[in-house]
Amino acid sequence: MNRDASPVAAFRDQYAELMRSAFLIDLQYRASIAIWLIWGITEPIISLGIWWSIAAAGAVDGYTREAFAQYFFGVALVNQATLSWDAWNIDRWIREGEMNYRLTRPIAPIHEAIADNIAYKGPTAAIILTAWLVAAVFWPAARIPFDPGRWMLAIVAIMLAAAIRFLNGYATGLLAFWTTRATALVELQFGISLFLSGRIAPLSLLPPRVVHVAEYLWFPYVVSFPVEVLTGAVHTTAEYARGFAGQVIWLVIWLLLYALVWSRGRRHYGAVGG
Amino acid sequence: MTSLRRTIVVLRAFWQLNWLEELQYRGNFIASLLGTVFWLAMAMLTVALYFRHTASLGGWQFWDVVVLLGIFNALAGVVETVFRPGIGHLPSDVRSGALDLVLVRPVDAQFYVSFRRLDVWRLADVVLGLALAAYAFAQSGRSVNAWVIISFVVTFAVAIAVVYAIWVALMSLAFWFVAVENMAALFDALFEAARNPVSAYPGALRFLFVYLIPIAWTTTIPASALTGRLQPALAMWALAVGIAALGASRLLWRAALKRYTSAGG
Repeated sequence: MNRDASPVAAFRDQYAELMRSAFLIDLQYRASIAIWLIWGITEPIISLGIWWSIAAAGAVDGYTREAFAQYFFGVALVNQATLSWDAWNIDRWIREGEMNYRLTRPIAPIHEAIADNIAYKGPTAAIILTAWLVAAVFWPAARIPFDPGRWMLAIVAIMLAAAIRFLNGYATGLLAFWTTRATALVELQFGISLFLSGRIAPLSLLPPRVVHVAEYLWFPYVVSFPVEVLTGAVHTTAEYARGFAGQVIWLVIWLLLYALVWSRGRRHYGAVGG
Repeated sequence: MTSLRRTIVVLRAFWQLNWLEELQYRGNFIASLLGTVFWLAMAMLTVALYFRHTASLGGWQFWDVVVLLGIFNALAGVVETVFRPGIGHLPSDVRSGALDLVLVRPVDAQFYVSFRRLDVWRLADVVLGLALAAYAFAQSGRSVNAWVIISFVVTFAVAIAVVYAIWVALMSLAFWFVAVENMAALFDALFEAARNPVSAYPGALRFLFVYLIPIAWTTTIPASALTGRLQPALAMWALAVGIAALGASRLLWRAALKRYTSAGG
């Protein structure tokens, strides 16, 4: 391998290596990944089924059957691209001592997790996107309007959402330095996000007071906002500005929280082991 | 019959040890109870959200759907208490060859593998689920009679038998394909469909959940018994399906065991 001396190039090489090995590991577990994919899409499929039946009598607060179909195909894609399971890995790393050798590496463990996420989410999101395209060929309700400009914005929104949800899950998972129930806190957020992220229904169908609370949290920015950019429910400049601003603010907040928990936690961990 | 009796004696000894072991982790009980209450609340809120926008779900009123939700939780509790810690460990036993140690014991292997370990704290899910179903039943304004009780008990037992057969089928795949570690996740995904009455799903999904993977029936039929929807003929059919499911799981187990060559094979 051609390595030059600059630290940036070394970092890039390390990243490429981490991603390659994560991808090769995933390849070995193709059957498992297929099952996780099915697990991931059942929830939006069931929600779509129920709302589709409810909308039989006419549009629900402006959502027609077709609008529900587009929304939940969007949820399936965005949820797959932004899902965070890292807390369970961290829990195992700390419980079984696998954190120790990770701490001796010249690169922080979070980079291994990021590489792992990219290697997994890229191909699996592509599978869901392909499934959506195939569904759209046969089923007009699943088609979203052709608008490459908006799709580019949606890609940016999905990447920001993935970063927020990743840092949120990773930072919460790092609480495992202090407690054995850090994964329960992640599950708690997962349950709340059913509603506040718009996984079970578009946010506008929730009671206004709940939506009001959600606006002060990161939840709407990790699923609902990217999905609505994709389907066109969000389309004015003001809505875009508000959404992207919210995403950037929460990205910074979770980045800072991660930095705080990581530096404190590492010292705490050393104290326990010492 | 003596073989079965011996199996039960052995299992009882295992359960006693199991119980003493679990008693050490009482904190887990509180944690699992809080978890159950939280997820029940989320499920109730989901139903409440649907009913903000509709008066009925596939012909079921709000409290009828909550009855079904309680039954779903009770059935999920049976899965967590018995199936996941028991038959759910089969794939790793097959992969590591630990099944050898079961097969040489003078007990019925399927019975032993299925019931060797109980996650006793999760019994709380069964109790909470049934309590919710009872509460929703009372709220729905229906009155209890012998037919309601008997038909519910029978159809709920059938549902447990069908879910058990599904677990045996999924886990037995380990004898053919060694890497089926997360088959349980496949069950979890499909079981989600049982949260709603089958009539609430549109055509294509109904075909999938009702006929292709008949999982949605496992909650809909017992809930039908409690909400006055169950015809006696259907109850008879359900009973037949339950017996057939147990028989099928036995045949499948025997066929699967013939494939077993231990870890070195």
